Amino acid sequence: MSAVDGLSTRRVGMTGRVVLHVSPRAVVVGAVTLALLVVLGILTLTMGKLGIPPGGLWTAISGHADGKEKFVFEELRGPRLSVAVGAGAALGVSGLLFQSGTRNPLASPDVVGMTAGAGAGAVVASLWIPLLPLGIGAFAGAAVAAALVYLSTGSGFAVPSRIILAGVGVSAMATAFIQYVVMVKDQDESLSLAGYLAGTLSARTWGQAQFVGLACLVLLPCALALGPRLRLMELGDAMADSLGARAGRTRSLAILIAVALCAAAVSAAGPIAFVALTAPQIARRLVGGPHGAVVVSALTGAVVLVAADLWVQQAGWLGDLPVGILTAAFGGVYLGVLLVKEWKKGSA
Amino acid sequence: MADTRTLTRQEAPAAGFLPWRVPALAALVALLLVAVLLSLAFGSKALSFGQIWTAVGGGGPEHVRDVLDSRVPRTVLGLLVGGCLAVAGVVMQGLSRNPLGDPGLLGVNAGAATGIVVSTAFLHLPGSPTWAALPGAFLAMLIVTTMGSGRRGVVPVRLVLSGAVVTAVLTAVIQAITLTHPNAFDDYRYWAVGSLAGGGADVMEILPWAIIGLVVAGLLATSLNALALGEEIAISLGSNPAVTRWAGIAAATVLSAAATSAAGPIAFVGLAVPHLARAIVGPDHRWQLPAALLIGPSLLLIADVVGRLLLRPQELQVGVVTAFVGAPVLLWLVRRTAGESS
Repeated sequence: MSAVDGLSTRRVGMTGRVVLHVSPRAVVVGAVTLALLVVLGILTLTMGKLGIPPGGLWTAISGHADGKEKFVFEELRGPRLSVAVGAGAALGVSGLLFQSGTRNPLASPDVVGMTAGAGAGAVVASLWIPLLPLGIGAFAGAAVAAALVYLSTGSGFAVPSRIILAGVGVSAMATAFIQYVVMVKDQDESLSLAGYLAGTLSARTWGQAQFVGLACLVLLPCALALGPRLRLMELGDAMADSLGARAGRTRSLAILIAVALCAAAVSAAGPIAFVALTAPQIARRLVGGPHGAVVVSALTGAVVLVAADLWVQQAGWLGDLPVGILTAAFGGVYLGVLLVKEWKKGSA
Repeated sequence: MADTRTLTRQEAPAAGFLPWRVPALAALVALLLVAVLLSLAFGSKALSFGQIWTAVGGGGPEHVRDVLDSRVPRTVLGLLVGGCLAVAGVVMQGLSRNPLGDPGLLGVNAGAATGIVVSTAFLHLPGSPTWAALPGAFLAMLIVTTMGSGRRGVVPVRLVLSGAVVTAVLTAVIQAITLTHPNAFDDYRYWAVGSLAGGGADVMEILPWAIIGLVVAGLLATSLNALALGEEIAISLGSNPAVTRWAGIAAATVLSAAATSAAGPIAFVGLAVPHLARAIVGPDHRWQLPAALLIGPSLLLIADVVGRLLLRPQELQVGVVTAFVGAPVLLWLVRRTAGESS
């Protein structure tokens, strides 16, 4: 039994196949999630009052449409969908790296205070450096929060319970600061700021899509390359060391990549809660083993975010609320259920 | 594993008379008096103690009395809120033998906030009435304690994690409501930062609730001592742990809801004060409670004064100050308890 009650790894008994090997199940799951993502993407572009009619979809994507369809694709839904896919994938992999790097199925950028930190960073930018885009502030804030948690635990990211508590502390400071700034701004400004702080995908630009896309392009291959070593990590530090995975270094690398991915996602879409926590959880359950987890986590993250965004766009009663509110509510409940299950199992 | 177990351990109340307790309490009374004086003297305009003295006696220039008229209610509110939060913290930590008990960490503040946002957005009630905060606070408290209790009682990290989860979900609810109800948003943002500027009206609003909560907490002191020795021993000592637990939860929730409805969610006072009280007068709750009742208001008032001085002539709200002072305390507690296990 390792770590803290219930926060321990669930695959202690797993046999680590060291050979790079892709299981047929992972391939099938990957293909199905990819297909689901494509379907959700098409729905995002075609549904609703402003939707592009399915017949004209290809012309719009290939850039030959004009008028309303061109506008809807190039200004509204295109960038929104691209940011959702990119940010979702980045968050999914970020969560996976956190979870396997710290050997804690509940670790995620949210738990280490990065989402709150991103909000505080954005708020600093809006208060003191008006020329700086909110996204860059969020990027810096997320990184600073992760660094603070890392430094204040006294043991880096090694002990799950301490990470959680330190994350709660850092989040509390960030939240207090956010509340202060939201209070001093005038009402219109603070209302739009509050929208961004909840994590929103409305009014995205191609620039943001490119940024998060580029981050994925660079960092996802790194995560893939780290995959085999991370699988060894799940056997425990000592075992991983003896198999040549160098646990300490692998953990630091994994978390560095995870922080960068999460920061890229929040800078494009604001602090969207709990996607990073839930996507890898779902992905691991679907894949049923450690192989292919990176790819499936990326796809699951994208599916979760695109689906949530489709919902807030099309369900009238939600009134186009920031998507982060939906992910926070559902992700929070999911996390609660997960915790209770885990604790029931652990406290025999 | 060792980590949490040491976190749960708390020394049983020591028997016997500890001679330094009386002078320690006297020193805390002195500290509180100093805090009150500071709170009356400092702000965008500083007053000398002499000026305060004459003005309290009814004399002195008019502008000094005007300044005091705004600072006295604020100070009284600080006394009340600080006392409520500190005692709520002692009860929460004593009940669960959990060193991380705090209305903010355990999601009770978020519950109270949800109740208040609902009351302003849908019932169009002005202000932030305590009775609107209560149902939300109770609900949050119940969910968190149910989630965080294992078969062998409460595990601190679990409680904090449950509190974080409940807070996250409730925050989403609050955001959804405030973003679609601009009026509620405006009320909410001024309240949610945590401030003592409300003054007199708030004092009258929460006074009855505070008295109820404090009296119940006081009556529980010996039962909390018994509970600290473990459930079985508590039963053999003739106290009923279930009654203690429910009465304690009720008292802590009423106190937190009252404090939160008047001053907004103020974090970490409930966390830090019980630790200080234990360090000064020992683990006996009959001493811990009065000590906390003295330390809590002192700390809150000092934090408020610091906030008034930092950004003069504007002010930094006390909720921001306590978060930035309190979070490091939490981190220190985390490191210290972890240090014990290694």
